[in-house]
Amino acid sequence: MTAEVIAARGLRVSYGKVEALRGVDLSIAQGEIFGLIGPDGAGKTTALDVLAGVLEPSGGAATVLGKSPRDARDDVGYLPQQFALFADLSVDENLAYVAGLRGVPRSEYEERRERYLRLMGIERFGGRLARQLSGGMKQKLALCAALVAAPRILLLDEPTTGVDPLSRRDFWRVIKSLAQESLTIAIATPDLEEAERCDRVALLYDGEVRRLGTPAELSAALGLDRLEIRTRSIVAAERAVAALGDGRGIEDVQSFGDRLDVLVRRGSEFDSVLGDELARAGVAVASIERAGPTLENVFVETLRELRPEPPFVAFPRSRPPRPVGGVAIEARGLVKDFGPFRAVDRLDLTVSYGEMYGLLGANGAGKTTTIKMLCGLLPRTEGTVMLGGQEHDLRSPALRRRIGYMSQKFTLYEDLTVRENLDFYAGVYDVPRAERARKIAWVLESSGLEGHGDTVVGSLPGGWRQRVAFGASVMHEPELLFLDEPTSGVDPLARRQFWRLIEAFARDGTAVLVTTHYMDEAQHCGRIALMAEAHKVAEGTPSEVVASVPGARSLDDAFVAIVERAGSRAA
Amino acid sequence: MNPGRVWTQARKEWTLFRRDRLTVALAFVLPLATLLIFGLAIRLEAKNVAVAVQDLDRTPFSRAYVAGLGESITFAVVRPSADPLAALHAGRAKASVVIPPGTERLLRRGYDAPIGVYIDGTDVVNAELIRNGLEGLAAASVPGRRPPVSADVRVWFNPGRKESLFIVTGVIAIVLGVFPPLLSAIAMVRDKEEGTIVTAYASRLTAAEFIAGKALAYLGVATAEWCAVVAVAMLVWRLGFAGDPTPLLVTTPFYLLAAIMLGLFVGSRVSTQAAAVQGVGPVNAMLTILLSGFMYPVSNIPWPLSLISYVVPAHYYIEVTRDAYVRGTGWPGVWYAPLALAALILLFFAGAWQSMRRMQLSR
Repeated sequence: MTAEVIAARGLRVSYGKVEALRGVDLSIAQGEIFGLIGPDGAGKTTALDVLAGVLEPSGGAATVLGKSPRDARDDVGYLPQQFALFADLSVDENLAYVAGLRGVPRSEYEERRERYLRLMGIERFGGRLARQLSGGMKQKLALCAALVAAPRILLLDEPTTGVDPLSRRDFWRVIKSLAQESLTIAIATPDLEEAERCDRVALLYDGEVRRLGTPAELSAALGLDRLEIRTRSIVAAERAVAALGDGRGIEDVQSFGDRLDVLVRRGSEFDSVLGDELARAGVAVASIERAGPTLENVFVETLRELRPEPPFVAFPRSRPPRPVGGVAIEARGLVKDFGPFRAVDRLDLTVSYGEMYGLLGANGAGKTTTIKMLCGLLPRTEGTVMLGGQEHDLRSPALRRRIGYMSQKFTLYEDLTVRENLDFYAGVYDVPRAERARKIAWVLESSGLEGHGDTVVGSLPGGWRQRVAFGASVMHEPELLFLDEPTSGVDPLARRQFWRLIEAFARDGTAVLVTTHYMDEAQHCGRIALMAEAHKVAEGTPSEVVASVPGARSLDDAFVAIVERAGSRAA
Repeated sequence: MNPGRVWTQARKEWTLFRRDRLTVALAFVLPLATLLIFGLAIRLEAKNVAVAVQDLDRTPFSRAYVAGLGESITFAVVRPSADPLAALHAGRAKASVVIPPGTERLLRRGYDAPIGVYIDGTDVVNAELIRNGLEGLAAASVPGRRPPVSADVRVWFNPGRKESLFIVTGVIAIVLGVFPPLLSAIAMVRDKEEGTIVTAYASRLTAAEFIAGKALAYLGVATAEWCAVVAVAMLVWRLGFAGDPTPLLVTTPFYLLAAIMLGLFVGSRVSTQAAAVQGVGPVNAMLTILLSGFMYPVSNIPWPLSLISYVVPAHYYIEVTRDAYVRGTGWPGVWYAPLALAALILLFFAGAWQSMRRMQLSR
């Protein structure tokens, strides 16, 4: 057994009446990559704050390298969830500041700065201000800053939230190589695909460790198998599986754009009969494959044991659903120039009523710019836009009432309560007075915030704020819905909830255009488009996009290959 | 205290300050604008006060009296109305003088001759000045009737009684007591508001080093402001040293540091820039202008408000600037100022340190 470098015994932290950690025990060995997962507000950030020595626990003890976390600060690099470097300092100046605070000798500083900037692939940007960096590059800089004092322990709090898959790969490549140099790494992440790469994982729930082990151990302990069903008619297949009932060992069903995942008890012979059952229901199945459960399955199943799943509450419609089909959003030759910089170049796209269309791409590829031009928030340089049958007066109040928009940054007022925010947006979007109470109650119920209407938004964890923001953007029953990274930083269970809601809106005829960094989420979309360097470089169903790249096994692989190809062509 | 870490912190603050062009511009434009506005606009002595004179006597004496009024710097004669009060009501005059018929005759016979005067008392200070001025003029216009005892006055220091000397020396202190703390308070609270302070918390930087680093950077900024303000004052008002400049040169760094530390103290106690700006902006400016002895002596301020004036740094510095540019007495008159300011620096530093000392997030 290698040496224990981080230990926590009965760690407790309370913020006033709220207990963020209630007796956490942890033991992390040298050279380990240790993942912290859990729903929003489970206490991941609090645990890392304590280990980094920036927060005093209210009970229990934590030791880092045999010392109190405060005394061990020189040997610990911390990358907090919120970017904690200076937007108005350059990359080099930020690194020099951190190196100065941590007493790194001048000669070593120069050498390390060069090494780490090169390692992260941002050595060309030393003179650039941090505010001019993309989200992914900012996080890379933050990692360099955490490494510049040559720490023995690295604490990373959601380092890849808002980071595109390409940068995320770079990140993990570096993390893996650091662990091989016997650096110990504790990382909190809402992304369970990432958590699969950790040596061991702790699942935190409500301030306590509920599962602990290697990803393989945790998956095996579940006692379930996962069946991947590929079919063209997902909705029919899902309905058919649901009709089979619970008695057959079905634990969970989750739909992705062109795939249905069914969790069944291990050893059940269900897959052999499932094909027949589906055929009998008239669903054409392309393939059924048996696979092990993912960490996401572990997460979801564990949380289901611990708390009732937030109920799926149907949206209280005041208008009949719109028939599916017909062009809702159309862009032709869309161009946006910022000075000499072309952010979006000759983009065409079409979204029909009832369709979920995903816009994917690396940080800075032009996704947000596109979405802002489409909903009329940003004037376009060239091209035409058609929204709901209208090509002119895209900012007219009548049209705006048919559009819902959730921006990447929080649009809620942090100093107002949840209810005050919702009241405000209901007013702004002209939700009829008589219906406001019902709609607001729906937002609270569907986001699991019943009884928290009077909580100030600023004190909610990020994931919950996103849910409220989503509710605020759909209360007026928009026919065209624009969602810009709606689930960034939201935990997996809440994310599923999110997508079920979005899907429900699509089924009721809403045209949905959504951007995301999570490839597993993109699977929910009927069609996706990939953007790189201002261009659309691929389009189709998720399966078509994967199939278009030889050798790609997942959308993630396809994304990286396509973006790299586009990058080399541009260079 | 580790000097390397203090220096790192100071250099970072300085770089951030320099990078924000607008803040840099405002750091110089606002103090200079304030200096010019205060220096040029504030006039404590009344000049050209409109006086409506109704001469019902129409004699050589009364005409000489009216002419005397018109010649004085203080008064300007305006056309009278039939009703002496009408001019006051209409706001045409601040005082109305009625010379009754037979005034000269009464005087010639050796009697007292009352002249009617109505004064607008809205502006208390000026009403008193007008009254003194009019009484003085009346006494002077009858030769040979001097009171038996008179004061032979000679004005010591500022013999020309130039108002600008009094005002400008005060404004220099006010400006340096108002603007630097605003900058330092914002610098302090911004780190907390933007979450960048976690980077400092995660290192071994102590609260004392953190505060000292910020203070050092802004001492540089404030010194530059001081140079600019004094240079403009010397150019515009021909301000020059009346005596030994040493007390001023020694006390100035203490004063600037006290002002900066006040800002850091407030910044450490609040959590938003909005709160910091309100605390160090209007509140500090008001206290500095009203309770520092800038316009009226501190001894006039009633207890317990007078106690506040002891923690207003400008209170001590104004004594030093006025001494340096007007009185020229030197150390004997102002020896206590650097000591008092040093005490304030320690007080504010302790206050800031008290709330930062853990260098941790608060639960």
